[in-house]
Amino acid sequence: MTDNVRTVVETTEKEPADKDVPRSLFSDAWRELKHRPMFWISLGMILFFVVMAAVPSLFTRGDPTEAILKLGSTPPSSSQWFGRDLQGYDIYTRTIYGARASILVGVFATLLTSAIGVVIGVIAAFYGGILDTIMMRITDIFFAIPFLLGGILFMSSFPNTKDSTYFAVVGKVVLVLSILGWPSIARLMRGSVLQVKPNDYVQAARALGASPWRVIRSHILPNAWAPVIVVSMINLGAFISAEASLSFLGIGLTYPAISWGVAISDALTYIRTAPWMLLFPSLFLSLAVLAFIMLGDVIRDAFDPKTR
Amino acid sequence: MRGTTRTVAVAVMSAAALLAAGCGSGSGSGSTTAGKDGGEITIHGCTPENPFVPANTNETCGGNVLDAVLAKLVHYNPDTAAPENDIADAIETKDNQTFTIKLKKGYKFQDGTEVKAHNFVDAWNWNRDGKNGTLNSYFFDPIEGSADMDCGPGADKKPDCTAHPAKASKLSGLKVVDDYTFTIKTTEKVSNLPVRLGYTAFAPLPDSFFADGGKSFGTKPIGAGPYTFEKYDQGSQIALVKNKDYSGKFPGHADKLTFKIYTDTEAAYKDVQAGQLDLLDSIPTSALAGDKYKTDLPDRNLNKPVGVFQSIAFPKATADPTYQNKDLRHALSMAIDRDTIIKQVLNNTKKPATGWVSPVVDGYKAGACGDYCKYDKAKAKEAFTKAGGYNGTITLSYNANGDHKAWTEAVCNSIKDALGVTCVATPIAEFSDFRKQINSGTMKGMFRTGWQMDYPSIENFLAPLYGTGAGSNDSGYSNPDFDKKLTEAAAATDPATANKDYQDAEALLAADMPVIPMWYSTATVGWSDKVTNVKVTPFGTFDLSAVSLK
Repeated sequence: MTDNVRTVVETTEKEPADKDVPRSLFSDAWRELKHRPMFWISLGMILFFVVMAAVPSLFTRGDPTEAILKLGSTPPSSSQWFGRDLQGYDIYTRTIYGARASILVGVFATLLTSAIGVVIGVIAAFYGGILDTIMMRITDIFFAIPFLLGGILFMSSFPNTKDSTYFAVVGKVVLVLSILGWPSIARLMRGSVLQVKPNDYVQAARALGASPWRVIRSHILPNAWAPVIVVSMINLGAFISAEASLSFLGIGLTYPAISWGVAISDALTYIRTAPWMLLFPSLFLSLAVLAFIMLGDVIRDAFDPKTR
Repeated sequence: MRGTTRTVAVAVMSAAALLAAGCGSGSGSGSTTAGKDGGEITIHGCTPENPFVPANTNETCGGNVLDAVLAKLVHYNPDTAAPENDIADAIETKDNQTFTIKLKKGYKFQDGTEVKAHNFVDAWNWNRDGKNGTLNSYFFDPIEGSADMDCGPGADKKPDCTAHPAKASKLSGLKVVDDYTFTIKTTEKVSNLPVRLGYTAFAPLPDSFFADGGKSFGTKPIGAGPYTFEKYDQGSQIALVKNKDYSGKFPGHADKLTFKIYTDTEAAYKDVQAGQLDLLDSIPTSALAGDKYKTDLPDRNLNKPVGVFQSIAFPKATADPTYQNKDLRHALSMAIDRDTIIKQVLNNTKKPATGWVSPVVDGYKAGACGDYCKYDKAKAKEAFTKAGGYNGTITLSYNANGDHKAWTEAVCNSIKDALGVTCVATPIAEFSDFRKQINSGTMKGMFRTGWQMDYPSIENFLAPLYGTGAGSNDSGYSNPDFDKKLTEAAAATDPATANKDYQDAEALLAADMPVIPMWYSTATVGWSDKVTNVKVTPFGTFDLSAVSLK
């Protein structure tokens, strides 16, 4: 990691104003990122989806639960931009409101997996020995569970009931994705910490009698968590698509949540007669996943130029 | 259990005399000429649930095959569903309680033995015998002595035949008079017994069946029907060949019938388009949407009403007393826009119900439900206000393994729109769970129900569903006047009087609304360009005696 920092410094030497200012890994990455158009495009898209999730009423005045059956399956027009689905719901409104579930699932699953993964990874790598062995074997066990199969098993074992609230429905999907998603982060974190641990400044801090907590917090973590941030960002997109897959199978998000995955599943039968029912939710899902994966990509490039 | 995803397969043979004369009515087939004899016809099949034992076959996968192999006392006219004598020469009764059945001579099982009276009596005794535990044993319940055939309940309350054997192993109401005559005595008066005798479970069984309790029969059934069972290749096909010794009136044209087994209707549909499959009994939803199948299979499709009635039932009073309010029931019924739902969601595969009896049966009278089954937002709201509204969320449960999600959601949206009350369609994963909750009376809120007729009679749409304590009375409905009318109808010796009584009974349902009538099902079928004269029975199956190669 320290080597990488030096590389970044060398490549950015052209700007003499910053030459003597000591820079952290993150400020280096930032200097790199702000010149990349891809970063701004993906960030813009993400911002767009986040605003859509937070305040859908900014984008549409429609009511996502209002079904006008008489207009069911009518194609897009000026009064209904994306057309209507089988039940007569306005697809534009439904698609806007569907962002919330996907973003919530993506963000919270990422936060939770990162939290679990970082804690396990740091403890295992920092203390080593028997603790490391036990923790890594547990990680291996979870790692061995196929992601989608595990999700299907969990969701069909604990189905939603009619009284489930919005947050219970979403929370359950977050939980299952987190249970199955943390091992990769834990492994990554462990590897990263093992790389940082032998460095002189860590040894120095220990020699000066710093507590383990202080060593981890001030010396190890800031230098070890770049890979986790990169992978988490890419995972966020993967979680959104995993949620859509589970919802598509009818076991992920259910009523009262409005979800792109459910909309895609419902529309599949009518692909020949009403393709717009399938097109728009799929398009939004793809864009959202793409935005997070693109952002992950540029961030990785910034943190780790060698892989470019 | 008589359920709703259960489908009952019944006779598929047809009036051969008509067809032989080359003037088959060929409704909708686009061709009125009878085609040539011989050749092979392939039919969409599916994996039978059980071995081919008539009393254990209550779904169409095995039932369609058995119906081509077996002959019964009567068979149903493919156009009118009226019973016509097949093996029976005459079915006589004076009091609707003792029936004398005379058989035609010369009918032979495919193993060469002749069909005699004892083949019926032995078969029915075996089918009803408690220790055989057959799925269709309830068909024999009206016969005297049937109660003595049940095993006593064991420790787990299920019938236990080792600890508590049944009192009798023969139905006391069945008596062989001579080789070609036997009598049936029923416990109560039954005016429509002859109509019931065309069901698969009433088929005669050869003596060889009883040698090993139906084990070898289950793999290779033997009947007196127009086709002989040749072989069953598990998971791929079931092959039948023409019965050379068939002496009945309803033979088929093709020399060979092959039921090709598909797990996916989409694949079967593509095969019909490509000419790889001749007859398909259910068009997949993707092709129904926007009537695509009509352009995919021009002049090779048909949509015909079948004996299935769909409804929305109310919870029993013990589960939720709110729904006992009749105004609330009427309000909910009038709040449902049946026509639009059928058009938009169900691709016109249903006909809006105007009563509780399917139009395919004799005695059907339109409009029994009157204005209560017509969509009227204003009237619905008025009745809803009169009922005092509904506190909370109305739920409509459905079994998620059937294709019910879209229409239940549409019904709820319609109710929401008309009455301004929240309504949620709630899935219950498994059909068995769904039925368990209904039967135990723990189902809260409304739930979907459906009824496929066992035999084509107006009685079958009323007595088992709304009679006090009847087997499939899911809403726990009880009305002494209704029960009285049913008893009167069962005692009527003249079919017209019986039908009139049943119609009067049905009319009583409108005021109480035990279930909300939704729609009658239709069968939408398609066929390849190789076959002609395709007809569909009121049971939604193909008339295999009519169809032939071009």
